Amino acid sequence: MLITERHARQSALPQLTDFKSGNEMAALAANHINFHVMGYYPITPSTEIAEYLDEMFAQGEHQIRMIAADGEHGGAGICYGASTGGGRVFNATSANGFLYALEQFPVQSGTRYPMVMDLVTRSVSGPLDIRGDHSDLYFSLNTGWIVLLARDPQAVYDMNVVAVRLGEHPNVRLPVIVAYDGFFTSHQKRRVSYFPDRQPVQGFLGPFQAQRSTLDPRNPITVGPYMNDPDLINNKYQQKLAMDAALRVLPQVFEQYATLSGRSYPVVDAYRIEDAEAVLVLLNSAAETAKDVADELRKQGKKVGVLSPNVLRPFPADAIREALKHVGAVLIAERADSYGGQGNALTHEVKSALKDDPDNKTLCLSRIYGLGGKDFLYEDAEALFRLALAAASSGKVHIPFDYHGVTPGNSRNGALSPVLPPFTREEMRPGLVSVEKDAASGKVQVRTPPLWKLAVRSRVFAPGHGACPGCGIFPALDQLFKGMEGDIVVLYQTGCAMVVTTGYPFSAHRVTYIHNLFQNGSATLSGLVEMFLERKARGELPEGEDITFVMITGDGGMDIGMGPTIGAALRNHNMVIVEYDNQGYMNTGSQLSYSTPLGHMTSTSHVGQAQGGKTFHHKDTLQIMAACHIPYVFSSVEGYADDLVKKGAKAQWYAKNQGLAFGKVLISCPLNWRAPDESGTDVVQAAVDCNFFPLYEVEEGVTTITYDPATVGRKIPVTQWLGAMGKTRHLTLPEYREPLERFAAEVERRWRRLKAMHDHPDL
Amino acid sequence: MHAWQGPPCPQILTDTANSVAKTHIKSRTQLPQTDNQGFFGIRLESIGGLGAHVAGQILAQAGVLRMGLNGANFSSYGSEKKGSPVKAYVRFCAAEQEVRTSSPVDRPHLVAVFHEGLVRTEPVLWGLLPEGAIIVNSLRSPSQVWDGLGRPAAKVGAVNALAIAVEESSRVNTVMLGAVARASGFIKPEAVKEVIQATLGERYPQLLASNLRAFDRGFQELALEDFSHAAAAVPQNYARHAPPFGYLDAPLGGAVMNPGNTALKDLSVSRNGFLPAFHRERCVDCALCDLVCPDFCFVWAVERKGDGVEAIRLKGIDYQFCKGCLKCIDACPTLALSTEREEEGYAERHSVPLFPHLQGFSQNGERHHH
Ligand SMILES: Cc1ncc(C[n+]2csc(CCOP(=O)(O)OP(=O)(O)O)c2C)c(N)n1
Ligand code: SF4
Ligand code: SF4
Ligand code: SF4
Repeated sequence: MLITERHARQSALPQLTDFKSGNEMAALAANHINFHVMGYYPITPSTEIAEYLDEMFAQGEHQIRMIAADGEHGGAGICYGASTGGGRVFNATSANGFLYALEQFPVQSGTRYPMVMDLVTRSVSGPLDIRGDHSDLYFSLNTGWIVLLARDPQAVYDMNVVAVRLGEHPNVRLPVIVAYDGFFTSHQKRRVSYFPDRQPVQGFLGPFQAQRSTLDPRNPITVGPYMNDPDLINNKYQQKLAMDAALRVLPQVFEQYATLSGRSYPVVDAYRIEDAEAVLVLLNSAAETAKDVADELRKQGKKVGVLSPNVLRPFPADAIREALKHVGAVLIAERADSYGGQGNALTHEVKSALKDDPDNKTLCLSRIYGLGGKDFLYEDAEALFRLALAAASSGKVHIPFDYHGVTPGNSRNGALSPVLPPFTREEMRPGLVSVEKDAASGKVQVRTPPLWKLAVRSRVFAPGHGACPGCGIFPALDQLFKGMEGDIVVLYQTGCAMVVTTGYPFSAHRVTYIHNLFQNGSATLSGLVEMFLERKARGELPEGEDITFVMITGDGGMDIGMGPTIGAALRNHNMVIVEYDNQGYMNTGSQLSYSTPLGHMTSTSHVGQAQGGKTFHHKDTLQIMAACHIPYVFSSVEGYADDLVKKGAKAQWYAKNQGLAFGKVLISCPLNWRAPDESGTDVVQAAVDCNFFPLYEVEEGVTTITYDPATVGRKIPVTQWLGAMGKTRHLTLPEYREPLERFAAEVERRWRRLKAMHDHPDL
Repeated sequence: MHAWQGPPCPQILTDTANSVAKTHIKSRTQLPQTDNQGFFGIRLESIGGLGAHVAGQILAQAGVLRMGLNGANFSSYGSEKKGSPVKAYVRFCAAEQEVRTSSPVDRPHLVAVFHEGLVRTEPVLWGLLPEGAIIVNSLRSPSQVWDGLGRPAAKVGAVNALAIAVEESSRVNTVMLGAVARASGFIKPEAVKEVIQATLGERYPQLLASNLRAFDRGFQELALEDFSHAAAAVPQNYARHAPPFGYLDAPLGGAVMNPGNTALKDLSVSRNGFLPAFHRERCVDCALCDLVCPDFCFVWAVERKGDGVEAIRLKGIDYQFCKGCLKCIDACPTLALSTEREEEGYAERHSVPLFPHLQGFSQNGERHHH
């Protein structure tokens, strides 16, 4: 059936009743489908899907090859490559992750390789907002992918199974997005049903039927040739035909799935609309809320209904036209704006669907609501119903397009006035630290006062940030900045340090601060540095203006943002980049980064019978950066403050005088390292003392180890460090001897290599 | 057109722990009160790390999978770190009813506060329905708690969850679960205990007995008093909060024009029972504590000695920002800092303000009105 509400019918198969969230249901569906490969990158609120799947994988519950990508763009590439190889492929993402991969999606659809991607919808930056709206979803509309919508956790499971069958249909052969609401659906647990094991789903889908596999050397094919006019338009027409076919095939697949599961989905979900005078058109969870309100209004004699498509691409225009045929007024409410468009795509597509019926007299209103995850409450639905009812009864639309739910603001005088005064130039330059290049030796020398003197110098941070108790980020960054003299402008990439210091309308930064997403901070700061130099050259800045530009990133930012960072290094801009390394993506809940060492447990490298933590060695970011031949590269930790202050001072000197300085600072994350709050300093010291994290610097190509634990009698075995953290304690058990030895050998190998470099100025 | 009521096929109920299916007998439960939409709403007020999120899941699972109710459960989600305020929500309704709304429970029948400090910093009573109940993890009596809450017209409960958790080697959330079950009037302790068993039993069987004891003690030791009709009771009004900035006055592009304003925040709820005490007489002003403190709590004075040499002197700790991580204690070479169990009022009495000019201002830059 095309237009009705989802309903229950008889199913032959037993099912389990359970209580699960949308993300749990997505993972369960993926497990039952048993995709061959999943390429993914963590981003709230879709991250949990990969986490649950990794946990199941560690327990040996499925065979999906889980590939943690270097970013969503890489993730989409992994999926694309895998999908050409003749198997089933899965991805899950949200918001800027989706946008970061966007250019890959038309490649996937244009070359006609089916796969499934769950888009757990979230607001697109900036400013950064992690909650659920549809601003990412609307970018999917022109990708050439089928877009199915899942309104609640039950639908998430069902639509994922349907997606595979639909996309792989011989007349369709298209990739499919399953979109559901971030948090409202992804993180909300509801009563659900599903098959007790994967057999029914496997039987329903059958084996993957590859039309053209790239893993068949006897039948070579060329995928993705260079194709201009006059051919491309025909390739695109084939895609159009495939979408037409999908619209015909989808009701059949829904029907077949209903027979299997007992859950029957229409193409367009219509609630109480047969005699409705006013109808709200809404996508996903908000449509469900509006149904409750429709019931209430019906009790008061108001003829209202709710219409919400279960598929956006192909757009079910005929079904929508049919459903709204006799409706007096329809209000299309959208959770994302197309700024300046007087309504987003859904508004215009519903309007144009109606326009194709010359007899249609339905009035249309359009409202934007719920941006950035603002809740859509009963009272909101009611207000929108009342607008539509008023239009229906008056026969007039007064305001065709507007926002619903904005607030004018009531800031009192205090909210905008400075709480702490900006630092003066003198306060930023207390003259406690000095750096000079020694003419005789050619060495850069730093003079620091006794550390206690630095306790009272101006701090770039105000207190009051929201990091976890005992977080190592701030003492480390504070020590770094203590080594610097003069004005500073900082750029923070997305991560814990950014999120906990800038929750609107607060900011803990007393110097000028910029955020950009963690794939692009280095490029952003390069641009600012060059603007500074150019405006200075043009005499547009005050005499003597002297600013040091510092970028702060997590280790994850040096995965996804490695390319732009290498670009900035090769261009050698005058700036400092410091990576605080907490060995994972902590802001999103402790997923593995490439800096996570072998065997360490994270939420995407679980420990279980089929997997023992992370499967590959930690990234040597410093050596990658040193290979860019930038003037200064250093490592340090919070626990050796003298070292960190000095290196901060040197980094500033090199950034001002020679070009880019890069540092990696190991900091503790007690929460995700599963270590006591007070243990941070000791744990990072142990990481240094076991040679896992050597303290060294590379100055103009010359490597110097600045602290050798063996020479001061502090060398310890790696187990002493690993035993201090819950995330690694398993490595000290007998059954993990093999990975432990492999890890210890790698630590030793890298240390010996570093020693050789230290001993030889040409290395 | 049918309403969705789940598939009319053979039903097996399961526990989510490790997705292992088990069958259970299900009996219908009657909800004592419901709102206009047919829901009984529960809100758990907590800080990250105390386990309110899991507690909400356990409650909801007990209701939906073992008590013949339908329901929903979720937690507030920002980028919460350990120690920041979080809320968990549970909605229950009759089994036949479909849950369609996905918004927070803003008119709860029952509020449970896992950390008493939240009474001061969060609007814990917000939206509590007239016949509702609020229970607080506190060592004080219900009437003292009632006073602290501003004497709401409501049932008020107190349970010393921290002490019970410590005594039973359990966690605050298990004790609070017991108290919530009791205060709700309908949540069956057996159902909750079965879910605890299913959740813990598989992975941590050694923790099971102590947790079940903690749950029972929470159930039994909750002291509940009805102040709904007390003479001094203040009726609660309910209004939505508007954010301080809107489209007329928010700086364009989302910029913060007065950075450093986190200095107005009060982070003391992040502490979980312990804080560092400062003993001036043992301090040698080496500033090692200051170097490791993640929250910049140490307050210094610059002094010029007789010979004109500048020196610094540690005046104390601004407990408004101290999250109680206790790193400074490890760092101190002289025992001038020691770990103390935080007692009511200690921090207020011993705090040395970092920014004296900000005393008495709220987070929005307004002066406090008492
Ligand atoms: C393009 C994009 N992908 C993913 C995210 C989600 N995300 C935000 S912060 C973060 C982790 C950052 O990790 P890291 O740089 O190590 O810093 P940490 O959180 O550990 O401080 C992720 C995955 C995002 N904001 N944008
Ligand atoms: S998760 Fe870790 S890195 Fe992030 S704020 Fe908490 S302790 Fe710091
Ligand atoms: S316990 Fe000590 S180190 Fe931790 S926040 Fe408080 S003052 Fe700072
Ligand atoms: S570390 Fe101890 S002795 Fe040193 S300044 Fe701090 S409190 Fe005083």
